[in-house]
Amino acid sequence: MKRKEPGKPLTPAVLHILLALSTRERHGYAIMKQVKADSDGKVKMGPGTLYGSIGRMIQAGLICEGDKKRDPEMDDERRIYYKITGYGREALRAELERYREVVTVAKEKQLLPDGLSRGV
Amino acid sequence: MVCPVGYRHSVERYRRLYAVLIRLYPKPYRDRFGEGMQQTFRDLCRERMASGKTLLALLVWVFIDTSVGIAKERIAHMREQSFSKRMAVWGIVVACVLVIPLVAMQFTSEVVWGLADFVVAGILLFGAGLVYELVSSRGNSLAYRMAVGIAVAAALLLIWMDLALATEGDNSGGLIYVGVVVLGIGAVIARLRPRGMARALFATAVAQVVVAVVAMVAWGQYVEFIILNGLFIALWVGSALLFRRASVTASQ
Repeated sequence: MKRKEPGKPLTPAVLHILLALSTRERHGYAIMKQVKADSDGKVKMGPGTLYGSIGRMIQAGLICEGDKKRDPEMDDERRIYYKITGYGREALRAELERYREVVTVAKEKQLLPDGLSRGV
Repeated sequence: MVCPVGYRHSVERYRRLYAVLIRLYPKPYRDRFGEGMQQTFRDLCRERMASGKTLLALLVWVFIDTSVGIAKERIAHMREQSFSKRMAVWGIVVACVLVIPLVAMQFTSEVVWGLADFVVAGILLFGAGLVYELVSSRGNSLAYRMAVGIAVAAALLLIWMDLALATEGDNSGGLIYVGVVVLGIGAVIARLRPRGMARALFATAVAQVVVAVVAMVAWGQYVEFIILNGLFIALWVGSALLFRRASVTASQ
């Protein structure tokens, strides 16, 4: 699969997976939990959606497979960990920059609710 | 996450069931992600049980989510295969479809197909598959492939219906070929490019409207013609909109 330009918009699933992997490498279930926590429970992915996205992200060069190892907090099974690539970080940064620009425009047009506009 | 022994057994049972579902994924995908998916599924079950909730809602959600994933990966996998392999798959699909009337004939006298019917149906279905494969390979986007799929399915349905009417001695369906003819001419002029195909499909929809009006004036069966032609007009317009979307995507 050809690489997307870092400036191209990401799907919500891809954005959340990149966010989850931005701090450290994680296995599938840990990604799922982190996405749920980051989105306040609003984004829920089943294994089909999660691994479908992971497959496409690996092909696009956004993430890669890391080591297969045990999770000390889980059980005795070895799991494949996934980590963000340099290109993935670039794409995430570009996406967050786009969000920032949208919020700036919304703020200029006074479209943000009071609580939000104070935080920006 | 610590679960009682009984719970662990039922989780393992569901995991084995889930492993059977995962076998429906294409082999390369299954080999790469199958184990991880099973582990994730088991972790979700354990989390659910630890929170004291029943597993039913989770199982339904995960099985639907995974089934959608299987369909997507199967389509993607099919796209990666060679043309001859894809046509072999079409051959199997057509054979499976033709088994339906064959089986139905054993149970009801209302389905009576002769050898010629099976041959014509087989040629039509396989031909539709061939046209779909040849045309859809010209576009890269999902919208283009879906547009081709809808247009081919609508044309197939039109021809099938007309043949069925002709078999019963009713030749009033001849007019409906106008839509297919307009589509064919439009596709040739457009050289299968998405923007041109969108125009061809809109023209086909207009031709279908004209055909409906002429048929209603000639035969006066208003409700029947509105419903029947309305379905085809919706299909042509739907396909045209998808082609237009594909052309916008391509120009970006």
